[in-house]
Amino acid sequence: MISAVSSRAGVRAAVLGAYVLLVEVTRALVMNAQYAAVPALILGGLALAVAAVGWPAARLGLGTSGLALRVVGGCALGVVLLLPTAVRAGAAPVLPMSLAVAAIAVSVGEELAFRGALYAALDELGGARLAVLGSTALWTAAHALSHPAAFLPAVAAAGLLLGLWRWACRDLVGPIIAHVIADLAL
Amino acid sequence: MKRAALLAVAAISYIAAAWMVAPGFYDGFLPPAPYNWTCPPPQAGANNKPSSGHLDVKVTAGASEPDSVFTDDGQVVMGFLPGAFDVTGKTSISVDITPLDTCPTPAGILLVTNVYKISATAPLVKDSNLVIRYSNLMQDPSTVYFATDPSGPWKSIPVAQQSQPYTLDTSTKDFGYYAAGLPRGSSSSTPATAGTTQLLPVVVAALVIVVVLAGLPLALIRRRRGAGAESDEDADEEEEDDPTRI
Repeated sequence: MISAVSSRAGVRAAVLGAYVLLVEVTRALVMNAQYAAVPALILGGLALAVAAVGWPAARLGLGTSGLALRVVGGCALGVVLLLPTAVRAGAAPVLPMSLAVAAIAVSVGEELAFRGALYAALDELGGARLAVLGSTALWTAAHALSHPAAFLPAVAAAGLLLGLWRWACRDLVGPIIAHVIADLAL
Repeated sequence: MKRAALLAVAAISYIAAAWMVAPGFYDGFLPPAPYNWTCPPPQAGANNKPSSGHLDVKVTAGASEPDSVFTDDGQVVMGFLPGAFDVTGKTSISVDITPLDTCPTPAGILLVTNVYKISATAPLVKDSNLVIRYSNLMQDPSTVYFATDPSGPWKSIPVAQQSQPYTLDTSTKDFGYYAAGLPRGSSSSTPATAGTTQLLPVVVAALVIVVVLAGLPLALIRRRRGAGAESDEDADEEEEDDPTRI
């Protein structure tokens, strides 16, 4: 265990995890300032996407083969993410269109960071199980500041679902599409 | 099969977890706190009456101090710069924000917030920042409206770039009646519930149709193609990287 953590893969996973958490916490704190919500989301999304720089596209799950199926899979995941709210439509906050770009930036950035780079680093370190569970745990922790505690089980369950899709289909296109759909709708 | 079963269990777990909290999974923007309505729309459910706000601005060395007045529920906030008021003969200035207890419906305008009367014991000489929060249960307002009397006439005031979700920011030197709204007949001033409560089910229904119409044929084609070459599907975790596994 110690040798695994002190290995190059372990250091890489630890640094990536710390970086992603730092970006998410900073984003959550800065967002509370006046006029800062949209810039914080866009810059936060870009900073998260930086975590994926240097990884081969295939390792991130970003291949182009079977693209149509990946897109359809993303739509199916999007349906699952939106279903509880759609059934209780009266409870749905609808995102103002002016914030759509920010929502897209942060959702793409989060997927590249959590299910892309972090997943790949953890997979390299300890296999698929560590990758799915580890990326889900960090994803949940990263949302602890920006979400009330009551929402965290739903956040964790969403992270687990997207992480399992990443593992089962070796695909990140689906989670990106689903996350963008969910953020735009909610 | 094992992978599909795990995905199904995860999907069911998510739906169960998200069912317990509205609106379920979301990212980036907190759901706005419920708006306190003077005249709640039908979809509002339980409603608290809107709050008022009061501020005494100190006058020091012949100038008013910087300060802000806000309603207790935070639905209206007005900030004053140093020297914002004409302080002639004053030692302090009293500012009040009071929600109007009626809901005017001016011709050609759809007001989507309560109307607030903002008054003070001295006039403003500098522009002051006014932030009005609005609800997600109505259409997004495009502007802030001002009137010196609730019966009108109402005039539109330019708004600044949105600083926070569900708020409109503007600046003004006038005290009077304020509300956020939009011109009637604009593309977004369709009936109140259409933009909010019915859009999401339509989006989900459209996605389901896409998944069924496109997904099934794609899955069948893929299955037929793979039938010849497929050998051992269940050696899943140890397979070498294959981005086409989907």
